[in-house]
Amino acid sequence: MLKVAVLLSIGRHPASGRPRRAPLDARALELALRLPGAEIHAVHAGDPAEPVLRDYLGMGLDRLTVLEIPAGSDPVPALVAHLKALSPDLILAGRCAEGGEDSGMLPYLVAQGLGAALLPDVADLSAGEGTATLTQALPRGRRRQAEARFPLVVSVHPAAPEPRQSAFARARRGLVEAVAASAPQDGFIGECEIRPWRPRPKRLRLAAGGSALERLKAATETKSGQGQVLVRPTADEAARAIYEYLVEQRVIGTS
Amino acid sequence: MRTRRDPRAERQAKLVPGTARPRFLVGAAPAGFANAGAATGPTGRPRRDPRASRAAAVVRTAPRLRLDWTNKGQASLAIGTAQAAAAVKAAVRVIEEPAFLVLAVLDQPGGAPSDHDRQLIAGARLLADAGGGAVVAVTVEGVSGLGEAGADRLLALPADLAEGYEPERHAAAVLAAIETLKPRHVLFAESADGGADLARRVAAALGERLFAGVEALSPDRASRRARGGAAEMARAPARLMSVAADALPPHEGTVHEARTIPAPAFEAERRIGAVRPLAVDPDLIPLTETDFILSAGNGVTDWEGFAELARVLGATRGGSRVVCDEGHLPRERQVGASGSLVRAGCYVAYGIAGAPQHLQGITEVKRVVAINTDLHAEMIKRADLAIVADAQEVMPALIRHALERRAERQGKERRNA
Repeated sequence: MLKVAVLLSIGRHPASGRPRRAPLDARALELALRLPGAEIHAVHAGDPAEPVLRDYLGMGLDRLTVLEIPAGSDPVPALVAHLKALSPDLILAGRCAEGGEDSGMLPYLVAQGLGAALLPDVADLSAGEGTATLTQALPRGRRRQAEARFPLVVSVHPAAPEPRQSAFARARRGLVEAVAASAPQDGFIGECEIRPWRPRPKRLRLAAGGSALERLKAATETKSGQGQVLVRPTADEAARAIYEYLVEQRVIGTS
Repeated sequence: MRTRRDPRAERQAKLVPGTARPRFLVGAAPAGFANAGAATGPTGRPRRDPRASRAAAVVRTAPRLRLDWTNKGQASLAIGTAQAAAAVKAAVRVIEEPAFLVLAVLDQPGGAPSDHDRQLIAGARLLADAGGGAVVAVTVEGVSGLGEAGADRLLALPADLAEGYEPERHAAAVLAAIETLKPRHVLFAESADGGADLARRVAAALGERLFAGVEALSPDRASRRARGGAAEMARAPARLMSVAADALPPHEGTVHEARTIPAPAFEAERRIGAVRPLAVDPDLIPLTETDFILSAGNGVTDWEGFAELARVLGATRGGSRVVCDEGHLPRERQVGASGSLVRAGCYVAYGIAGAPQHLQGITEVKRVVAINTDLHAEMIKRADLAIVADAQEVMPALIRHALERRAERQGKERRNA
């Protein structure tokens, strides 16, 4: 039977700042719940009394293991030790947490600790015998398929399927199982100076060189095209011109 | 008991002889300092020549004097003399013995350096210039033009790394480069094209902390967004950093030598295989993500033909506000200030006049093709290829032409096979 571990974290609502179900981790859990016949182990490292954890239980989990570590400590050693004992085939996690350092390093550190392969930005997956077939989401809406052997760590992209709603009764019924774990204090964040984010002014792409008048024009005028204008061509001429331009600009493939 | 000072004698000892007006070197003069034309002053700071810098800022003298202080080095270019341009071009800055190295691991989606990569080299330049270091651009074979971007050295990895998707091999190659060069800083591109993934793989393998997604960088301070975007984390620049897109301006002014240095050998275990791109229906990609948009305006009346044209060209359909208001296209396909702000590579405006609100939505678009009946429409001015014709009449011809060309191409492929 396919053994899947899902790493869950607590999110932070962007407007209110309240704790919430982390959207990417919820997508990871959704992908795990869609795998037929998978044995799912959900793991969270943090405070077992956090009420938001029940939202994950409400998605269809019976139990959720919480490695009890103090706030501000490094969860990676505790997670690696727990997952070594569990030895799952597949480990799913959102690609970046929200509310902490948000460096997106956790899946990589877990994969490094377990000696597992890692595939980032996964939007869909199916598991076979000893391998998984994964669909990666790339920029500009492109998709790529790849195969990887177990054990495998997968980080989940926002393009993965929407997570299901949390059912209140299941959330009440589910069991949060606290496990004592040791975690070293994370000194790195203490070294950093932390203050509220202030949006920066957008950087203007100022043209260098040329006369002052040309630079003023470049900075103040909306960009206007420099291309050719065809006035009242026949329909065929127009069609050919458009098509040639698109091919020349590599918008339409020639092969 | 203190010795008695004689300020007059001390002052007299600092008098510089041989000038008409009495001149004194008040700071501690280094031994042997005498001539007034030296490049550095008595305190060791570079001596400015205000006359020369004013002469360099002169744009023209007739009919009246004009000075341009903003662009000091390039003011001579504005005059347009070929010699001046050649002199600026020839001045390649060479750093022979750098105090330390800064690695810029380029992303290069599709094999060519992107704007993000140039910003990355500029960030490395900033860190290197603060202490006499040199910038090493980690690139793939067959890339040119990085000297203008500010790279002192090039470390070219095998070209097949850029073509295929082998993140484990790529990370092993970068790790080998870090191992041999021992750089003070390593900068990665925080991009979804693979740079963000590479940075984290390398950081995990080295067991070092990655300062990810740097938004502001100076030689003594780097800052990034954290806590779901609510806080700013700042500290001295870390050894491993990844730089967000558009956080830094690209390098300008000097040209660097971009000397190729040998790439170290590496090997990696291959655990990801059977990689292939998946065909995606372009019409289902969200407007904000897609690279090619066919957008309809008031000049379109045949909506089935429009959908077929989008299918034939492989474009995502979009529309102006008027079209979406009338219900010809769903609201999520609206482009403009009250719809989506798109950043496509190519935008075909089909029968769109170009209201200011619509043009706001396409400011980030690289190339625009416009088809409109009005020669004086705003969209015609914005376009790179403008066609003044009735959009509805061109549509069947364009569909026919695209189908013919595709059939031609497939026939050629079949013959080749």
